[in-house]
Amino acid sequence: MSDCIFCEIIAGRLPATKVYEDETIMAFRDAYPASPIHILIVPKRHISTFNDVSDDDPLLSEMGNVARKIARELGVAEPGYRFFINVNRGGGQVVFHLHAHLIAGRDLGTFLINFAVAGSVLWRKVAGLFRGRGRTLE
Amino acid sequence: MGDSGNGCVFCNIISGDIPALRVYEDDLVVGFWDANPVAPIHILLVPREHIRTLNDIPPGNNILAHLGQAARQVAEQMGVAESGYRVFINVNRGGGQVVFHLHVHLISKSLPGSK
Repeated sequence: MSDCIFCEIIAGRLPATKVYEDETIMAFRDAYPASPIHILIVPKRHISTFNDVSDDDPLLSEMGNVARKIARELGVAEPGYRFFINVNRGGGQVVFHLHAHLIAGRDLGTFLINFAVAGSVLWRKVAGLFRGRGRTLE
Repeated sequence: MGDSGNGCVFCNIISGDIPALRVYEDDLVVGFWDANPVAPIHILLVPREHIRTLNDIPPGNNILAHLGQAARQVAEQMGVAESGYRVFINVNRGGGQVVFHLHVHLISKSLPGSK
């Protein structure tokens, strides 16, 4: 799985700011935070998407427990935070190793606007890459 | 059911006292359309048991994994499992929680049935 960036982080071959680790889960700061607090909670075993978690697997409960533990440590459990998983491309998933986002520290209206802006910037960059590969359109 | 009381809108939906468009139901979880959808698909999955927030799930209780399993099933049922969807939980006011009965949002920009 050396082509998986999260497997590389878990193996310690790529750097990340780790905030939590146990036998099944590692959590680290998102390299491109969308909010003052933006943590990724990642199972150590490689599972592509949330769809690939088996029905009898307690993994999501474990990820949720880690999320609230981190939220408590960072002092945002009571003021509030958001826990989410993007599933497949249309759901906004970029890295295909299951992960949950924990975000907090800014009012969500601002967050959503930033998220939309970041999305459109990213989209332009991706579109730019594709343009660069084909003939020049502009 | 703890402090569910009559004041909780989701407890009232679960008991059938308030109508909602149900899409999923089992012993532990009920799923229904959000009354104010923010996307073409916007389903709420709620535990039958009144739990206030994600912070309040008792240790050793696997309700979250079960809510996730229900979300996967609903995404499949609606035909958006492959095209994509997002599941999220807002925790407390600053996280955007409005109804204080734990719930998972499932949203998708894809229309129901679109692959």
